[in-house]
Amino acid sequence: MPNYRIHKTEYIDETKRVSFKYDGKTYFGCEGDTLASALLANGIHLVGRSFKYHRPRGIVSCGAEEPNAICQIGSKKDLTEPNVRATELELYEGLEASSQNCWPNVKFDIGGINNFISPLIPAGFYYKTFMWPKSFWKKVYEPLIRLSAGLGKSPTEPDPDIYDHKHVHYDVLVIGGGISGIIAAKMAAKNNLKTLLVDDKKILGGSTIYQNNEAIKIDDKLSSEWLKNEIQEINKLSNLTIKTRTSIAAYHGYNFLLAKENLTDHLPEEKKKNKIRQRLWKIRAKKVVIATGSIERPLVFNNNDRPGILLSNSINKYLDFYGVSCGENIILFTNNDSAYETSISLHKKGIKNLIVDLRKSASSELIKQAESLGIRIYFNHVVTNTFGYRKINSLEIMKLSEDGNTTVGNKIKLSCDCLGMSGGWTPMVHMHTQSGGKLNFRDDDQVFLPKENSEDQISVGSCNGDFDLENIIDKTVNKINKFLDIDNQDYQDTNIICSKENDKRNIWLLPNKIPLGKTKCFIDFQNDSTAKDIKLALKEGFRSIEHVKRYTTTGMATDQGKLSNMHALGIIADTAGVKMGTLGTTTFRPPFTPLTFGTLVGRNVGKFFEVVRKTSMHEWHVENNAEFENVGQWKRPWYYPKKGENMHDAVQRESKAARDSAGILDASTLGKIDIQGTDASEFLNRVYTNAWSKLAIGKCRYGLMLNEDGMVYDDGVTTRISENHYLMTTTTGGAANVLSKLEDYLQTEWPELDVYLTSVTDHYSTASICGPNSKKILNKLFPNLDLSDENFPHMSFKEDKLENINCRIMRISFTGEQSYEINIEAKYGHSLWKMCIEAGKEFNLTPYGTETMHLLRAEKGFIIVGQDTDGTMTPSDLQMDWIVSKKKFDFIGKRSLYRSDTVREDRKQLVGLLTDDPKEILEEGAQIVSDVKSKPIDMLGHVTSSYFSPNLNKSIALAVVRSGKTMKGQKLIIPMENKNINVTVSDTIFLDKENKRLNA
Amino acid sequence: MLDILHPKISNINKNNIDINLSEEKIKINIRGKNKEFFTKVGKILSIILPSETNTSSSNENYDVLWLSPDEWMIYFDENKNTNIFDQLYKDISTLNVGSITDISSQLICINIKGENIFELLSSGSPFNFEKFKNNVGSSTQTLVNHIDVILHHKSKNNVNLFVRRSFSEHLYEWLVDSSNFI
Amino acid sequence: MFLINCPFCGERDQSEFSSGGEAHIVRPKQPTELSDDEWAEYLFMRKNIKGIQFERWNHAHGCRKWFNVVRDTSNDKILSVYKMGEKPPVNYK
Ligand SMILES: [Zn+2]
Repeated sequence: MPNYRIHKTEYIDETKRVSFKYDGKTYFGCEGDTLASALLANGIHLVGRSFKYHRPRGIVSCGAEEPNAICQIGSKKDLTEPNVRATELELYEGLEASSQNCWPNVKFDIGGINNFISPLIPAGFYYKTFMWPKSFWKKVYEPLIRLSAGLGKSPTEPDPDIYDHKHVHYDVLVIGGGISGIIAAKMAAKNNLKTLLVDDKKILGGSTIYQNNEAIKIDDKLSSEWLKNEIQEINKLSNLTIKTRTSIAAYHGYNFLLAKENLTDHLPEEKKKNKIRQRLWKIRAKKVVIATGSIERPLVFNNNDRPGILLSNSINKYLDFYGVSCGENIILFTNNDSAYETSISLHKKGIKNLIVDLRKSASSELIKQAESLGIRIYFNHVVTNTFGYRKINSLEIMKLSEDGNTTVGNKIKLSCDCLGMSGGWTPMVHMHTQSGGKLNFRDDDQVFLPKENSEDQISVGSCNGDFDLENIIDKTVNKINKFLDIDNQDYQDTNIICSKENDKRNIWLLPNKIPLGKTKCFIDFQNDSTAKDIKLALKEGFRSIEHVKRYTTTGMATDQGKLSNMHALGIIADTAGVKMGTLGTTTFRPPFTPLTFGTLVGRNVGKFFEVVRKTSMHEWHVENNAEFENVGQWKRPWYYPKKGENMHDAVQRESKAARDSAGILDASTLGKIDIQGTDASEFLNRVYTNAWSKLAIGKCRYGLMLNEDGMVYDDGVTTRISENHYLMTTTTGGAANVLSKLEDYLQTEWPELDVYLTSVTDHYSTASICGPNSKKILNKLFPNLDLSDENFPHMSFKEDKLENINCRIMRISFTGEQSYEINIEAKYGHSLWKMCIEAGKEFNLTPYGTETMHLLRAEKGFIIVGQDTDGTMTPSDLQMDWIVSKKKFDFIGKRSLYRSDTVREDRKQLVGLLTDDPKEILEEGAQIVSDVKSKPIDMLGHVTSSYFSPNLNKSIALAVVRSGKTMKGQKLIIPMENKNINVTVSDTIFLDKENKRLNA
Repeated sequence: MLDILHPKISNINKNNIDINLSEEKIKINIRGKNKEFFTKVGKILSIILPSETNTSSSNENYDVLWLSPDEWMIYFDENKNTNIFDQLYKDISTLNVGSITDISSQLICINIKGENIFELLSSGSPFNFEKFKNNVGSSTQTLVNHIDVILHHKSKNNVNLFVRRSFSEHLYEWLVDSSNFI
Repeated sequence: MFLINCPFCGERDQSEFSSGGEAHIVRPKQPTELSDDEWAEYLFMRKNIKGIQFERWNHAHGCRKWFNVVRDTSNDKILSVYKMGEKPPVNYK
């Protein structure tokens, strides 16, 4: 097996071999490797196929910008993960990875045929081709595209890993642990500011940490040595928290940032267990320093995508950081000085290399060094083509014309096994723009730079366009002192020597003798878009960068165009003949690099997926086999099936028992608001549609609450406890909103009212006992209470003690039966319930759930807000005009009740429906029509509530129907998928219209 | 026989976090604005209601937490003074000086103490505990794991957390789960 | 996620608050005397400004108090907060 690990570095432990599998084959790397560096050490460049043309692709970079080396990790159904960048994945023992987007394998790929028919797949190909005929979409195109496209496989089973979230607050957050970030963090922390420094790599130091060129020195030391000292120092600062393997995913307003910390991704399988895999840090920082550095640009020339073609600086990092050489005969193609550092480094390690430089000539310390080492430099030359299928094996260069628009002279063919390209540097302004910052364009080296416009964030270092070391350090120090309003002198006397770049020449699309249509000059490697595609888009009339991006899909892959956006812009500008700075950029959206769903969700999975509220009686319900229904956040008993019963059986039994003898319901979830104050009665007058002033102490009244638009909002019974003290109940789901709405009116519209509202929902537990025998059961529980209809009539309230404990008992009914609600302090709720059940035994007291409650009230035609109403129903629509006071001057929603729209006669109105076949149960939500033949069918309304009533032995339903009030007795039709159901409009009250049962 | 059932909250101690149910406490919500109100409450409780945001006052009998400019909560051991509610209700509510509401069962008090409690709370709360943890006596209302809570910094690294009864078991389970990952 | 300076509790995370729409829309004292159009003006018509907007917010998970906020909707910066009943700061129009 070839070994490209050619020397030792301090970041790789060669004594610790790590075995891993790639595409099923076992390889060895070393501790400290990434998957990419380990693959390169094994001589593997080819790692995937491109998305559209299925061209062989190799590792291009060494970081987050990697477009090609994305792989599928693991093969387990629950743990496999797609789209992992090999350049970021730290190697661990037992790692299993495979290349993506190639079938049957990376070396022989059927989709590769697309490469040969590629003239047929121009930009917008999918848009254009698959438009017609429409019917082909589902059957032909989509399956085909799905088969050949796609980036990796999602896991098919739940993620067993643990994720966590944490909120943190800092004075200063520094993003990026390169040289400028380290300086900024040190300055902040030493000035007593609580500081957080994050970096996505395992170790700090950015690209300086492996810098070893003699031309670049700080205080007479190699810059890497100097920086190691600095890192040692900041590790001692107590004010500074350093988080490595942590990347900022999103930078939101108000300096709220999300950072993802990788905690176990670098560990072998057995060490990952029971640990948090990733933690999402929710960071609030008073000030943010962005020091995210820059990314090297590729160059755009024909066949610039072959395996073995990398970014020049990445070759340098693989060599000096990982000890891996990317080839044995390397050519560097550049338009700037930084490739010379790579070249010199390679030369020192004995690796043959030469330089092709776009510039006519250039002079600087680095270039002098390269020249004196005898490195061959082709100035004013351009690479025009490359060769080699699975890996580059040679290339052609030609001389550039004076204006750089074309090539001149003869082709020179050079052999190589690796090509490094350097098209200059792109500052990583993602964080700056995500935070809302704008950009300036610097023509000099064609970069977008942060426009400083905020007191809360600043960019320093190369992400701010400062590229040489002297500039980086001096400017960082000055800016940080000013930004943090401090006076740090640590770097006052730092002596910096560095090579200064004096010459620049940028050409976005490099010239070629071959017509553009016949070239493959890739811009976006991952989405396979070429210079030709961009030009085509412009030719077809696209102008906006956002449109060109979508039409050609440039920059829309998982790397979000980190390598491609600038070239796309440059080519558009050149072609359209406009200045690049005037084009603007596409928007950089979070996340900066992809996040797993697990990280976003954190521990809100499984039993913590949703917040759960339980009543005090909950345990009893569980012990008695209740099925639960979620009502808001509450778990409410839905029905209590006995052995062998299904839901229907249980509900029929419960409903019958409640009317024949007695039933008991846990009503603790109803919202309860304690209302006190001298204006309490007036307040109720204003919030309910009916009148309250004359309600006697000890009496209860049902109230309907509207929105200002006149639509029903909530309902419930309110009890007058004393002159200025009421207890209001609300619906279960509406409790919080009602309280907040009432507070709103009190605080903003009627601050003059002396009223205090306090939620007591959880303070009381409520057992509601109904049925003809309810009085007897109450009598057993409260033997001293006079339960006669004279002393304790319907809609009244008594206080009594159960043993020593106060109970509030309301005689109110939601079932139409004689009914008592016993409220007790919640800590006794469970016990109260058990006592009720015990006392009710001889009367077959039957616990019933929400389904039976719904059925019983429907028999009586009582509405449920939110089921029979949907925010478009007025009291009149509900046939509840009786509850709207005509005398009151005003109440919430009153004026809206006679708006032209609310008085329309043909509004949807609540009616009862009876099916012609009494056994037929309607589906809730079913549409209602009068004529199934008309086209289009005239929809009259829909069914809101529907049950089989065991007490009436027939199906009953409530519905909202256009002009329903006037339709009593009329026949209507419910069209279902396979039949039409005939119904007759009826009264909404199906049982005991005379309310005899209330006092039976 | 009527007896008490508390939420299922048992003592947990791990990673320097100690979580306990701390019931047997009376909690009373107190509302009012005018001078008479302050005087009366002060006289009955022998304590001045804290007027400063996010603070509390305490004496040997009661702890009083600031909740809003016209709202406070007092809490105390139930064996201390059982008829204080009646006294307050009579002098404040009945005389229309303000509003007194018994919320003893509305809120469950979970005591959490130990070095890492603020780490624990921070995993589910956006509240900035920087100042809070350095000031004994601080109180605040905020969210923990999306659930409303009232926090009272009783003594160093010792916090009484008040949560609605219906949420208490869920929040407790979440706290226990979270304390595994400090 | 905003940081909102509750006039009663101080700076808190946006998740503790709920928004109540445009501020300074006063409920008419005598709704019955309004025409349909006038009532609709109060009920439905809201500005949706790019720029400086006056809003109502409620510290729902804190002190439960409603208050007013001046926010620049173009960059989400909150320029000022003030209590209910207080006059809006004059320097924002
Ligand atoms: Zn507040």
